[in-house]
Amino acid sequence: MSKTTRIEPNLQFVKELQEVGGVDLKKCYQCATCSVVCPMSPAENPYPRKEMIWAQWGLQDKLTNDIDIWLCHNCGNCSEQCPRGAKPADLMSAMRNMAYRKLVPPTAIGTWMSSPKYLPILAGIPATIWAIIWMIRAAIKGTFFPLAEDGRIVYDNLFPGDFTIDPLYGLTAIFVVICFGLGIKNMIDGFKANMPTTFVIGYKKPSILQAIIDTVRYDILQHTRFNDCVDSSEDNERVKGHQILFYGFLACFIVTGTVAAFHWGGKVITFIAPLVHTPMPLWHPVKILANIGAVLLLVGLTLLTRRRLNLDDKKYRSNYYDWYLLGVIWVVTLTGIGAEVFRLSGMAPLAFLTYYVHLVSVFMLIAYLPWSKLGHLVYRTTALIYARYTGRLPIDEKLIEDDKIFVI
Amino acid sequence: MADKIGVYFDESSLGGMLDIEQLVAGVQKKWGDLCPVVKVHPKLASVEGRSLIQADIDAGTIDSVCVCGTSPRVDWDFYEFGPAITVSRVSLRELCVLCYDDPSGQALVPGQPPELLHKMAADYVNMGVVKLQKSKIPQTEPWEVVRHVLVIGGGWAGLTAALNVASIGYDVTLVEKKDVLGGAAADMYKTIPMQHPYDKAHTTGVDKKIADVEASDNISVLLGSEVVSIAGAPGQYQVIVRTGKEEQEIAIGSVVLATGWTPQNTSTLSPFGYGKLKNVVTSREFEAMAKSGDIVRKSDGNPPSKVMFLLSFGDKLAPFAVQEQEAKEAALAAAENKEKEEDDTPKTNFIKQDTYRHLEYSAELTSLTALKQANYVREFLHNGVALIVYEHMMVPGINELYYKAAQNDPGIMMTKGIVQEIRDGGDDDIVVVLEDTLLGSRVEIEVDMLVLPTGMVPTTALDPVLRLTYRQGPAMPDLDRFSGYADSNFICFPYETRRTGFYAAGAVRQPMTLATAETDAAGAALKAIQCLESANRGMAVHPRSGDLSYPKFNLMRCTQCKRCTEECPFGALDEDEKGNPMPNTSRCRRCGTCMGACPERVISFDNYNVDQIGSMIKEVEVPDDMAVGGPRMLILACENDAYPALDMAALRGKKWSPYVRIIPVRCLGSVNTIWIADAMSKGADGCLLLGCKYGEDYQCHFVKGSELCNRRMDNVAETLGKLGIEAERVKQMQVAIDEYNELPAMIDQFVEEIIKLGPNPFKGY
Repeated sequence: MSKTTRIEPNLQFVKELQEVGGVDLKKCYQCATCSVVCPMSPAENPYPRKEMIWAQWGLQDKLTNDIDIWLCHNCGNCSEQCPRGAKPADLMSAMRNMAYRKLVPPTAIGTWMSSPKYLPILAGIPATIWAIIWMIRAAIKGTFFPLAEDGRIVYDNLFPGDFTIDPLYGLTAIFVVICFGLGIKNMIDGFKANMPTTFVIGYKKPSILQAIIDTVRYDILQHTRFNDCVDSSEDNERVKGHQILFYGFLACFIVTGTVAAFHWGGKVITFIAPLVHTPMPLWHPVKILANIGAVLLLVGLTLLTRRRLNLDDKKYRSNYYDWYLLGVIWVVTLTGIGAEVFRLSGMAPLAFLTYYVHLVSVFMLIAYLPWSKLGHLVYRTTALIYARYTGRLPIDEKLIEDDKIFVI
Repeated sequence: MADKIGVYFDESSLGGMLDIEQLVAGVQKKWGDLCPVVKVHPKLASVEGRSLIQADIDAGTIDSVCVCGTSPRVDWDFYEFGPAITVSRVSLRELCVLCYDDPSGQALVPGQPPELLHKMAADYVNMGVVKLQKSKIPQTEPWEVVRHVLVIGGGWAGLTAALNVASIGYDVTLVEKKDVLGGAAADMYKTIPMQHPYDKAHTTGVDKKIADVEASDNISVLLGSEVVSIAGAPGQYQVIVRTGKEEQEIAIGSVVLATGWTPQNTSTLSPFGYGKLKNVVTSREFEAMAKSGDIVRKSDGNPPSKVMFLLSFGDKLAPFAVQEQEAKEAALAAAENKEKEEDDTPKTNFIKQDTYRHLEYSAELTSLTALKQANYVREFLHNGVALIVYEHMMVPGINELYYKAAQNDPGIMMTKGIVQEIRDGGDDDIVVVLEDTLLGSRVEIEVDMLVLPTGMVPTTALDPVLRLTYRQGPAMPDLDRFSGYADSNFICFPYETRRTGFYAAGAVRQPMTLATAETDAAGAALKAIQCLESANRGMAVHPRSGDLSYPKFNLMRCTQCKRCTEECPFGALDEDEKGNPMPNTSRCRRCGTCMGACPERVISFDNYNVDQIGSMIKEVEVPDDMAVGGPRMLILACENDAYPALDMAALRGKKWSPYVRIIPVRCLGSVNTIWIADAMSKGADGCLLLGCKYGEDYQCHFVKGSELCNRRMDNVAETLGKLGIEAERVKQMQVAIDEYNELPAMIDQFVEEIIKLGPNPFKGY
């Protein structure tokens, strides 16, 4: 006798799902076209059909602990082919949004991140902090726009890294890391209880390290699976946009890391400090990398935004999570570039103001990371590693191509 | 009796494949003075062609017309020359030239007709002539009719039918059993949507219908009344209606039967917890709760928050199936014993049809009702959740929109599942266990209330309702075949019951929605009027609409064997005390089944009779030596399905053996076995009867014809055996009209079998 599952259909949950983007999920009549047309879904316990059923049944536990929502890269094939317009892809993305919202406490931030009506709070927090710092520094310096002794614009004069930016963002980073740690634990606990079975012929259980290496190599650096999800030229634009944006971020991350390393390292090994001292001249390799990063961000953002604006609303629907992330990255990028341009052109009030907005937007990007769409950086990576580790995903894509293993 | 026959050949239909001169000479030589006119026209189906014939009629040279060319189904209205002129059509195109398959395999060449083809054509022409010779012009009998329609049942369908009939100016008497009008519709809180955009239930509007009926001058309503008996025939029924203790006789022309349905006995629902668990209710009870404005649990009077609608039976109905099968067998055995004992209790054709299957037959309605009532949950209960578990969600047609609307409601969950167990979940909650769910595993769900579907039992299943004083019994015949539904079983004329003059509408013939019942009632109303307006002209109502012929009985030779009165599919014949048949012309559908049944051959139609077909058969020239001239087989083809199928096959280029001769008959039921004897004694090597499908899903236009014919085949085989003729030489085959492409192969196979058997031993005598 098979196991009997007690189910508690939850009307509230269905409504919540609709709020976070799965508006049409009720239209599904369970024909399974979605799973058939999905280029990625495995034959055993395929997605997104089962997720559609769970959603209609209001099976909250199953959905929130579902690993498959992270294996979907949202190509939208299922939504396009759905005979009922139930938009399974929207549901999958709604489920990810639900995870952003609920996976990690404090869930208040999750709630704030879920709707534009809370945007004033999200922006207000960093805006207030940096405004207060600005006020204090202005009182100390006697001006709102303090220039360096040589007349250059140096942001460190207004917002000193050592006392404001670094400690503040350092603490924020620690908070985010702790939250992510909790999130990863919650995720894996949930996955363990609800892992869909997958049979792989020729499968050898990999080490966790192997799984990590593969995920980084294929999914992160090469976007291999993301590329498999491509079905049209618009999809291609999406993958390209994402990859460019990702490398832009990577460049900025390396720059920030290098600057921080040399700065704080310079306190110990003093001679390295001047090597990467901000503001750097334009010919400085790190600066060049930073500017390349900025250009990549601009290109990536343009591609992704253009695609979203051109989406057929009947087939796909962008939700607030999508627009929040795109919006914040736009602001971060534009104010970053603006701060540099205005600084070099000596337009002090405009430069400081832009830099202020930059600081606020960076906070909005980083501090709320576990509750924003950018959280997929960690969650999806975790899920992909876990999926490879447990066999839900093949350990090496190449093995399948070479017919060494078969996933059924 | 035609004695001056004009024979006309249409060259244009023959494509030069026949030597018409030779055929003309043949007619002149054989029939001489009987056929004073034998003419050939290059294109007979033209104004000139027709006026050529008309001129001969006007000159008084001829009194009947034989057109040799296309099938009688082509230009059938073109060759009509008024009621005084009989016309016969010889299908030289379809049944001769087009289907001709030369034994050598060679194709026909214009101008060089093979001998075999010519013989075939000559046979058909001679048959056409003799058919006219043996035809009389049908004498119509004027028939007084009462232009007054009786509507039985004052529910949605009955009210609609009454209003429709009255709106055309006919009088209506509406008989309703209850003291109020409205029927089942009046018990509903709302109906599934009947208007655009079909996504929301609304009030039925039955009040307006009732008001309209009450306001109509043409409709008289008898409440609290029942039909006690109905005697007579269409146009002239004497209906006795009882109101309270008083009885009155009403003269009625035709009847609309709209007695609807009653809720099924709840014992069928006992495997689903009904009667054991307090909060398990039927959809009928749930509807009543909604109507009263208060949906509560029986156990504690509190409103439920989670209500499940179950449309899944799993294997829980299987015991009923076994039980009913056993009961049926026992009844059969009892009936056999009774027959042996020669029981004197009066026979009735009514057998109560109380079966669990009504629940399954109501699937469309129970599905729609579940959708509707799930919406009640959302309407009445704040934050209430409705769950619909179904095995089959049946929402055909426009109602799909209503299903979609329900789907979009976040508070309505619908899923497929096979019910496994229903048990007490404590606190008078109900736990439902489901198998084969889309989750791929067995699941259980706890709900506050479980609503079970209500099976719709047609009133005719439980009661004869009509109480006819017909010889064949008080009820519709063969209700046991259709679980009691008074349906015609025909997709194209669903209202026509097996009793001419009675037209069923609404749930009495099929579980249906108010919207369907509405159109149904309009159809039945029109049929009831058509019936009156045909009976008064002495015409058949349907399916041979307008046919003026009717069976005539030569009672002098009747042996009172009662075969005709028993076999008439429409109960048209009553019996006098001695057992003589008493025809009721306006009940008759002119199928000729009585003629086929009569062993004494005392029944005939003016234009269709035993002698006529027998004479036609004799016109087939059978070669004395099968090895030289080939064999000959007779095909008697039902003109409703088989004959059109032959036409269609020929027109689509199909060919078959040239050794067969085809004669259309009104129905295989009208085939008198003497025809087979005629053919065999004439030396024909075989005889094939092509008729409609019979049995459970019969397609016979006259319901019983091909089935009766099949029964008679046993006698035929016996007779042939006595004569020393192989029984295999006579065969009946079933063919549907859309099986035309298989028909030639069926014929050829039969011919092959006969050739293997060798020549008829009677050949040459």
